[in-house]
Amino acid sequence: MDVSTEEVNGKSKLAAATANASSVKVKKPIEIALRIIIIGLLICMFIPAFNPTHLSALSDKNASLFTTGISYGSLSEGFSRALKKGWIEQSVITMTYIGALITCLGLVTSGIGCAVTLGELRLKRIGGRLGIIGCVVGAVGTGLILAQYPGYAASKKPDKIGAVIPSGIYVFFAVTALCLIIGIIYLLTLPKADEKDKYEMAPKYKLFLMFLPFIVLLFLFSYLPLWGWRYAFYDYTPGAELTSENFVGFKWFAYLFENSATRSDIIRVLTNTLAMSGLGLLTSWMPLAFAIFLAEIKNSRFRRIVQTVTTIPNFISWVLIYTFAFALFSTEGFVNQFLIDAGAYTEPINFLMGEKGIWFKMLLWGLWKSLGWNAIIYIAAITGIDQQLYEAATIDGAGRFAKIWHITIPELMPTFFVLLLLAIAGILSNGMDQYLVFKNATNKNTIEVLDLYVYNLGLGGSGGMSQIPLSTVVGMVKSLVSVILLFAANRVSKAIRGESIV
Amino acid sequence: MEDNTLQKRDSITAQHRKTVIGNVIFNILNYSFFTLFAVACFFPFYYLFINTISDNDLVSSGAVKLFPRGIHFGNYISLMNVNDLGSSFLVSISRTVIGTILMVLASAFVGYLVTKKEMWGRKFWYRFLIITMYFNAGLIPWYLNMSMLGLTNNFMGYIIPSIMSPYNIILVKTYIESIPRELEEAAAIDGAGYFAIFRKVIFPLCKPILATIAIFGAVGHWNSFTDSLILMSGNPKLFTLQHRLYIYLTSSSNISAFMSSGNVTNEMVTSLLNMKTIKFTVAMVTLIPILIVYPFLSKYFEKGIMLGAVKG
Repeated sequence: MDVSTEEVNGKSKLAAATANASSVKVKKPIEIALRIIIIGLLICMFIPAFNPTHLSALSDKNASLFTTGISYGSLSEGFSRALKKGWIEQSVITMTYIGALITCLGLVTSGIGCAVTLGELRLKRIGGRLGIIGCVVGAVGTGLILAQYPGYAASKKPDKIGAVIPSGIYVFFAVTALCLIIGIIYLLTLPKADEKDKYEMAPKYKLFLMFLPFIVLLFLFSYLPLWGWRYAFYDYTPGAELTSENFVGFKWFAYLFENSATRSDIIRVLTNTLAMSGLGLLTSWMPLAFAIFLAEIKNSRFRRIVQTVTTIPNFISWVLIYTFAFALFSTEGFVNQFLIDAGAYTEPINFLMGEKGIWFKMLLWGLWKSLGWNAIIYIAAITGIDQQLYEAATIDGAGRFAKIWHITIPELMPTFFVLLLLAIAGILSNGMDQYLVFKNATNKNTIEVLDLYVYNLGLGGSGGMSQIPLSTVVGMVKSLVSVILLFAANRVSKAIRGESIV
Repeated sequence: MEDNTLQKRDSITAQHRKTVIGNVIFNILNYSFFTLFAVACFFPFYYLFINTISDNDLVSSGAVKLFPRGIHFGNYISLMNVNDLGSSFLVSISRTVIGTILMVLASAFVGYLVTKKEMWGRKFWYRFLIITMYFNAGLIPWYLNMSMLGLTNNFMGYIIPSIMSPYNIILVKTYIESIPRELEEAAAIDGAGYFAIFRKVIFPLCKPILATIAIFGAVGHWNSFTDSLILMSGNPKLFTLQHRLYIYLTSSSNISAFMSSGNVTNEMVTSLLNMKTIKFTVAMVTLIPILIVYPFLSKYFEKGIMLGAVKG
């Protein structure tokens, strides 16, 4: 935001408050209509169906105007062959792209204008003007796109190019025109700004506008992906278009249970997931024990060294851990050389191959990575325990283990309980890094957890055809179950401890 | 009477001796366990390191076990001839630096904004932010979304999505709430606006927590591997160092396939390196930055994890 006006604003807060009270009545309904239309335009920018650049059958039908406007690649992608064969002029594509860029800039300008109308009279006038300018620019951009239509239609291979005027062009023309009219009415109904009026905005809106860019980021990366769930209801192959013809409803959901191959895959993957998460839950007391026994060591230097050394593994990636595993446990690795020299056996064994005990191995690597780290929270909690409790217990004649059993463990229980509930809620999410790096041809069936399965299925990690709808369905079910589990865990926590965990 | 007390004293000393012996045994077991575990945590690092500095022939014949033999640093120098490693290193460094700076600035500013009760719709927007921690659409919709936004095969795909980190924002918010309100109020009376207060009062006071989240963010960026794998598959120039290491680890092809035929002849290169040492040396290079920041890290992580425990 503008720093200088900010500071001026701060100085004249009192003055502004009085100005607010006497500010002239603004035609609210028109203002709100203007804002709604501009926000609608901005949303249209993200909807592929309204993209005005779909002038040809070759355009990527799942690209929105926004995508086209920010990346030339997404527009020209479908035309690489057509360009090479000379079916279409390079300049036509370039001009379409420039049109899309101008339209986007216009819409963004309108958006800024819309935000500025939150201010007082002077800012409202500026906002209205910006809104109108944005609409005009947007319409010019759309016009430029439309002007490229003859370029597409004049192709030597009209059947390949398949030039059309997309409905998006009409939509954008209509809406920008409407926006223009409302914007002009809005400006006309606004009273003239007085000399005394300042560029002012109420603090609550000012704060909101500062937050707005971050809200947009959140929306783009955390909420917009939900829009991708629609792929679960279509018969989609990469490059195809989502139309009413390939809408299949809940086919893929049923497929999950009806197709025997998929069903057995799901059962296998779920077994792996639950087994590995289950082993994790069964060992979830270990960090607690680690912290308690570490606290029993009186030599603080030794304690410090142990804590430092055992925490490092948490900060290295799974790829590096796999390098360690490779260095230590492969055929030429340390363990084999050591044991062969010691005469335990003669033929080296590759410990990384085979599916025997893979769940257990994964658990051990997980513990190696995170045991020291997970203990830190308990170590900190132990330091926080009131020393008087221990002193009183000593006077009562309690020994070391009695103190651990009757003081330390009960004091750590709440923390343990919260972490356990969160672990239960996350039982389906083991992440995929660890299993991806340790995966090989001999263990791929027993190591594949749900997250890895979704990756392999959807992005062809296993080299097969990517099945986007099916993997979206699996991901969707997983997300929903995880949320339900989280709420259930929260309920349990509320019932038992009277505190929520989320 | 006296006999009785003597007996009692005897039994007390006996009991005492028993606890002392018990304590000694416990201590021995305890110390040995932690020594063993610490060695188990440390040894892989050490083993990898001695393999990269030992004579390559001895390494490939498996003669290097507990101590380095035939020490040289040629492996690190010849890494310069490994294809694409330089660009991967640059990508990793720049994403870590740029990504962390932007994330820290955004977390600080948003953390400050959400403490402002007077913001329009604060409660709603705060929830809007928090919910994203507990829910995600899944890998495939995320990928399709990134592709729709033009962030696949694009360096910005590493940076922009990671700017908003709800968890870090909560950490900063909690920290700011512990700063006395009077400081802000005094600045406001002096005529400072929201942004000026943030820049001149809040930001300098938040430095400890910002250092914490910066270090965690940097480690996360540096270690990140799946986003490179999933998003950048079409542009090998944008692979991160971790991704590059993964490719080396899983490939069984000849070493010369990875070498650029620059100023070094292939014969020379193969005599200097073998597949095993190249894997280990690349791993070491990937590891070194983490080992360098680790001392700073350990100073802050306890604080970070404790603040995380009292979020809300």
